[in-house]
Amino acid sequence: MTPQARARARRWVGHGAAYVGLIAITLLICFPLMWALSTSLKPKAELSTAPTLVPHAPTLENYRHLITGKSQYFADGSTGYQPTTAPPQYFMQWFGNSVLVSVGSTLISIIISTLAAYSVTRFRYRWRMAVPYFSLLGYMVPSIILVFPLFMVMTRLGLTDSLWSLTLGYVSTTLPFCMWLLWAFFRGIPIELEEAALIDGASRLRVFWEIVLPSALPGIIAAAIFSLIVSWNDYLFARVFMNSVDHYPLTVGVMLFFEGVHVDWGLMMASAVLMTVPMAVLFMMLQRHLVAGFGAGAVKG
Amino acid sequence: MQKHEHWRAADNRIGLAFIAPFVVAALVFMVYPVLESVRMAFYYIDPLNPDGQRFAGLANFATLLGDPLFWSSLRNAAYWTFVSTILQAVLGVGIALLLHLPLRGISIFRGLLLFPYIVPTVVIALCWQWMLAPELGIVNHALRAAGIIDENIYWLSSPTMAMHSTIMLNVWKYTPFVTICVLARLQTVPTELYDAARVDGAGVVRRFIDVTLPQLAEVLAVVVVFRTIWTFNKFEEIYLLTRGGPGTSTFNLAIYSFEQSIANLRMGVGAATGVVMMMMLFAGSLLYMRIFRFQEDT
Repeated sequence: MTPQARARARRWVGHGAAYVGLIAITLLICFPLMWALSTSLKPKAELSTAPTLVPHAPTLENYRHLITGKSQYFADGSTGYQPTTAPPQYFMQWFGNSVLVSVGSTLISIIISTLAAYSVTRFRYRWRMAVPYFSLLGYMVPSIILVFPLFMVMTRLGLTDSLWSLTLGYVSTTLPFCMWLLWAFFRGIPIELEEAALIDGASRLRVFWEIVLPSALPGIIAAAIFSLIVSWNDYLFARVFMNSVDHYPLTVGVMLFFEGVHVDWGLMMASAVLMTVPMAVLFMMLQRHLVAGFGAGAVKG
Repeated sequence: MQKHEHWRAADNRIGLAFIAPFVVAALVFMVYPVLESVRMAFYYIDPLNPDGQRFAGLANFATLLGDPLFWSSLRNAAYWTFVSTILQAVLGVGIALLLHLPLRGISIFRGLLLFPYIVPTVVIALCWQWMLAPELGIVNHALRAAGIIDENIYWLSSPTMAMHSTIMLNVWKYTPFVTICVLARLQTVPTELYDAARVDGAGVVRRFIDVTLPQLAEVLAVVVVFRTIWTFNKFEEIYLLTRGGPGTSTFNLAIYSFEQSIANLRMGVGAATGVVMMMMLFAGSLLYMRIFRFQEDT
């Protein structure tokens, strides 16, 4: 074998090994959700037989239960289940609550932190560097510390058990990292264009609206996605703030499926899948922004 | 990073107007809760009767220090954090090196990588519960089929296994974070360094130790500090999988604080736990600030 051929063979083997590694990792990443999807499509009887990845008799029954909201669950007359404790008919309501709450808190955090990031990077006043420092500290404070004081505040304001309490509560976790990420992002936007526009006589607000916002858009989108993910995924705040079953967001609601005597794995996996879908869609649409955000927010920009 | 010229000090009023909402929100949603939780740590507070608070002095902290469960929660938290962070760092670097290879189709793999990060913890916890279920779960089934085990492993209901199952969940979810950070840094390592090393006759391993690792040192230090702090504070990743059980074998400080506040109705003790956590967090942040200083003009 010539040296070139040997080198080529060695590279071939190396690349082959790398692909094997990559595929193994991909399987590890994807398997839990693929398994959830597969389980959610199986009829109840199939769950206790030897498991297969592809369902023998695929059915959309579980999804129908969740989406149509009728309590067909154990409707055959068996008595092991009290349909008032954790009824699948609330699923769509929970879904709506989750959407409202995460969009609401994201809007609040993004508006506040965009304005602040512009202010901190383009104006000169004392203590302005305290903002990013403070945000960094803020997003390392554990939620478990924030949740009870905020709960007491919400009690005093009479907001407990209302979606407002969650919307406002999530601001305490989403605001610091939106601020940090946007600060890092705004710092990197070249200032010359704005300067030129200002010299040409454009007003501050016009420059902000027409020049700064469009160039900051990728950063704003990244921050918004992160904020949506965090508030959509929260369990702790919702668990502490909310009492009535029709005000729960998805996370707390779905965990109720566990409380019954019988755990209906098919139904549970179907709700797990439905709960992941909005985030997965966001993820696919905006993957590039997400990676950019990771870079700016996690490693110093 | 280019340095900005701050011009036109005259229109600072707009600047202050733009920062005002942040200041208000930060005071209400971040500063106040933290200060309030410090205050609460010195009071007897029943969440069902928020107006009947009594000053407790250091009693809540005394309760903590005298509670064996607090100490075992602290030990669990330390073990959980240490093992998770190490695994995340090692796997994260390994995967980043793989993803850095100039292979065809590599961008597809890179794209998939962030996926675990967006999956809600509730969903992963449910999936894990189902996969690790002793009788029906796929994991035990696969192990039985492969002849590795004869008797089912109780992944979530024996103390040691439960601890390691939650570590697995944590590693699954947060390794991508390390990978992304390391990958971003790898892409900025000058290729000349590798060429020079190759000319000197360095093999793959030598090149990794002499060139790659020193270049990664800074970002790794930052990431490890971050991951340590965040992992230490995690609540849902354990609570949703094991509720701190079996028994109290997977309690960490966050779960301890939660249980004191909600189940035992002793919010003061819960808040005191929070204060202890914040002190540890503060030490961690100081470390972080030392490792990398802001290069921003002041």
